[in-house]
Amino acid sequence: MKYKDYYAILGVERGASEDEIRKAYRKLARKYHPDVSKEANAEERFKEIGEAYETLKDPEKRAAYDQLGRHRPGEDFRPPPGWESQFGGFGFEDVVDLSDLFAQFGGPRTHGGGRGGARGFAMPGQDYEVTAHVSLADAARGTELAVDVSAPERGPDGILWRVPKTIRVRVPKGATDGQRMRVAAKGGPGIGGGAAGDLYINIRLLPHPLFKVSGHDLYLDLPVTPSEAVLGANVEVPTLAGRVRVQVRPGSRAGQKLRLAGKGLPKPGGGHGDLYCVLQIVTPAALSEREKALYEELGKLSTFDPRGHFG
Amino acid sequence: MIDHPRPEFLDAETTIALEELVAASGLPRETVVELVEWGVFQPAGEPWTFASRTVVLARRAARLRRAFDLDPAGLALAAALLERIDELEARLRELECQLLR
Repeated sequence: MKYKDYYAILGVERGASEDEIRKAYRKLARKYHPDVSKEANAEERFKEIGEAYETLKDPEKRAAYDQLGRHRPGEDFRPPPGWESQFGGFGFEDVVDLSDLFAQFGGPRTHGGGRGGARGFAMPGQDYEVTAHVSLADAARGTELAVDVSAPERGPDGILWRVPKTIRVRVPKGATDGQRMRVAAKGGPGIGGGAAGDLYINIRLLPHPLFKVSGHDLYLDLPVTPSEAVLGANVEVPTLAGRVRVQVRPGSRAGQKLRLAGKGLPKPGGGHGDLYCVLQIVTPAALSEREKALYEELGKLSTFDPRGHFG
Repeated sequence: MIDHPRPEFLDAETTIALEELVAASGLPRETVVELVEWGVFQPAGEPWTFASRTVVLARRAARLRRAFDLDPAGLALAAALLERIDELEARLRELECQLLR
């Protein structure tokens, strides 16, 4: 089993009082709770912090943890002789993760070396929460996900294992960025006849080189030349369903939106979002002599004053 | 082809019963009821049903309750503020989409 230094995770001394431990936890929880934190690794950090606090706030668990001795974080270690019989009846050597070990404290268990202490108690299985990154095209047409989880599983003899598992899920079309989904009974197995947990999936869309996503609407920057903006033009634009032609009206301004109804992402209940083309007026980086001369002539000839309202 | 399980969308269209919301969130029933009174969860019909996306809010409320030891009133306030942030972030995303790169 890999050692985790719960004191270091909370940033307290090994001799810290319950009060100091609680204060350290509160500060860190406020900073890293994934529902309120913007820290990049918030979810991972908060998991560690929560695990450390759950163990150290409970005098019985803390005593048991202290008895494991001091090791380097990540170091493989064995508990001291007698630890098992003193603190629990489960098979220590079979528990892969320290958090699983302490999660069993206070729960149903038998003292005196009997395994399978959870028998006779029905406990629902753990819910899994995962984030799945999906391309825009896959979200639009539906896709299959392979979700990797590390599943704590209890064998018939009551021993807890962590098993890497891949859950395959067929995602129907209609998902967009931030879409939450639930797959019933695909979480951890229940204990003692308890129901299996559920699998919760948070869909995040991968950035697309052309389309930006807001809900089920898509946005596309549509570059046009100054003359196309002034004179109007019929231009070809990409959509998820292939190219279509759109009419840029004469006298169009930068930032104007052209809405292509129903060309956005499909919605779960049927129908589609829209595609907005946002006009961008671009100028050529290099001009030929002739182009330059024509622009100069236009500049002299034109009476248009875009700054007239400055007074 | 193997028939893989199809997830259900947690959205505004499909509805779930109160008992399912309680079970999925892990919140005590009376806390869910209190959060309905505070307007955090809005029933979609009588007897109480909820949009299935309420599960997402309720699970978040359960995480906050556990981590910060919040009572229902504090939980209601935190949930309301987080929902306001969700709305603002959605609006921000929509506006960012309109900015030219």
